[in-house]
Amino acid sequence: MSWLTKKSVLVPIDFSETSYEAIAPAKDFVEDESALTLIHVLTSLHPADPAAMWNTLGDEQRKEKVKAFLGEKLGEMGYKNVQIEVKVGDPSAQIIDFAKDIAADLIVIPCHCNKGISRYLLGSVAERVVRFSPCPVLVLK
Amino acid sequence: MEQQLSKLKTYLKKHFWLPVLLIVLIPRIALAQEDAGSPGGFVGIFQSIVDALSYVIYFKIGGENGIPFIVLWLIAGALFFTIRMKFINVRGFKHAIEIIQGKYDDPNDEGAVSHFQAFAAALSGTVGIGNIAGVAIAIRMGGPGAAFWMTVAGFLGMSSKFAECTLGQKYRIIKPDGTVGGGPMYYLSRGLSSIGMSKVGQGLAILYAISCAIATMGAGNMFQANQAYAAVSNVLPFFDNLAWLFGIILVAIVGLVILGGIERIGSVAGILVPVMAVIYTIACVWVILVKFTDIPNAIITIITTAFNPQAVAGGTIGAIIIGFQRAVFSNEAGIGSAAIAHSAARTDESVREGIVALLEPFLDTMYICNMTAIVIVLTGVYADPGSADLDGARLSAASFETVIGWFPYVIAVAGFLFAVSTMITWSYYGQLAWAYLFGDKTVNIYKMLFLAFGFIGTVINLDLVLEFSDVVLLAMSVPNLLGCFLLSGVIARELDSYMSRLKSGAMLAELEEVRNREPVLK
Repeated sequence: MSWLTKKSVLVPIDFSETSYEAIAPAKDFVEDESALTLIHVLTSLHPADPAAMWNTLGDEQRKEKVKAFLGEKLGEMGYKNVQIEVKVGDPSAQIIDFAKDIAADLIVIPCHCNKGISRYLLGSVAERVVRFSPCPVLVLK
Repeated sequence: MEQQLSKLKTYLKKHFWLPVLLIVLIPRIALAQEDAGSPGGFVGIFQSIVDALSYVIYFKIGGENGIPFIVLWLIAGALFFTIRMKFINVRGFKHAIEIIQGKYDDPNDEGAVSHFQAFAAALSGTVGIGNIAGVAIAIRMGGPGAAFWMTVAGFLGMSSKFAECTLGQKYRIIKPDGTVGGGPMYYLSRGLSSIGMSKVGQGLAILYAISCAIATMGAGNMFQANQAYAAVSNVLPFFDNLAWLFGIILVAIVGLVILGGIERIGSVAGILVPVMAVIYTIACVWVILVKFTDIPNAIITIITTAFNPQAVAGGTIGAIIIGFQRAVFSNEAGIGSAAIAHSAARTDESVREGIVALLEPFLDTMYICNMTAIVIVLTGVYADPGSADLDGARLSAASFETVIGWFPYVIAVAGFLFAVSTMITWSYYGQLAWAYLFGDKTVNIYKMLFLAFGFIGTVINLDLVLEFSDVVLLAMSVPNLLGCFLLSGVIARELDSYMSRLKSGAMLAELEEVRNREPVLK
């Protein structure tokens, strides 16, 4: 397996069970947990959301809360040294940009494989990550 | 990216007629408003869709002169909750004001904003141009007596508003980033599943989301745009035949906020709206003071025509129907939309936010709408045969003009701001409904549709806009109130427990203790 060992692996997380299940296969590609980075992408708040209207919940606070939440969840799952990153914006664009920033050499992403109207209109995040990624992508099905 | 741009360029070079066609078509649509009466073309298609919807929603109970099913449904809902909750609209009133003042705020509770902030956010969606134009429409259609029935509807509506906002709080979800997900979609699916009706709940939640996504195109969008144009073109004759230009300007401003994320415009509108509301009510008081001696007569006119209306189709029943319809259109009681904003409040007592919410129909309908109604009746413009063609915002403006000559300008500015802020808030409600159906990723498609409908609203005539807005807004009450009926036992239990703890004084003592403790870091 050593020729497959990666230095930096990125796992996008959307809080769904399938996305957490992607962590285990991703871990097989690295020697140490610290080479794993999890990313969650938040959508920006609608200007009429009461929290945005009164500016009681800024993007920085939202990021901190998600980091704390993910840290706790990962702790329960037995991962202590995984890196966590939270971004705000369009999911696929943020994932790709961040992969470039940390010079990721693999992205492991689960595919929800949307059906129906949303698939025709936009395709899935996984599809777009595969198309524009700077590095190899492993899509879990 | 560059490749895509050059592709687009070559495409446009080949199809140079496309943008030209667009530019030519926009005034075409604008012209279509003039022959809205005749079927055919774009307006004709829209009219037939509206007709089909009306046929179902306005199904009349009790023969030709009976009450439409949907109005009966709303009256039944408001009456039911008023009696079932033992007149919470009366006994909760004083407590509601105490909560708004912050007496019961606990910073350690979960949620995103304070009680007052949630209330203000919900109010920005409720107080719209309907408070100026809707009342005029009610009086034009149902006579001055319709204003009386609007007040009755506002009073009873306080109870349905209490019920839905309590549920909105109780079944909300706090997401990992601290934002709150709440509203009818959540209480229908989660609430009904908690009483063992998960299939029904899911069905109603989907039905609600569909009707909400469509309804946001009407009352909170097309109607606002239409009447904002009426108010502005009333004082700026420049826009008279340029409805499409006004539409583009309005849609561009709303688009900058909801698509471009330029929140500043949104927050500026958010600050100016309460200021405008205060200026507006001061002007109402001014007119009322000027016509002081006529007040008893005006009140007598409103009450006598409420029970014995002349020249109103359907007599008293007709006036009741119009009054209830316009009141619900304005205060959203029974529609469920406000529960979305109220669910963000920071509290661990769901009843508490429900009690705050009952102030909404009071402020919106019993206070602001009544002010407009009294001004219209006092000035008597509505009864003047010379102004028979005035309706909506134009009729209100003409009424104020008789006393304060420059007031139509204020109505134009206030109407425009009300319309912008209401459109922004309703695009939020609609976006949540859309996301519930199709997921977060496609919300931009919803926003584009929303803007397109806003544009259409400015260029077609009021009757059609109103007919569409009414029918789709009222449709939301079917799944919403049905869910609230089924969950009324839960609400009543929560309310009893809350009230007994409030009366015993345990609640304030507990809050006092929390406040005196060292702040807890979260």
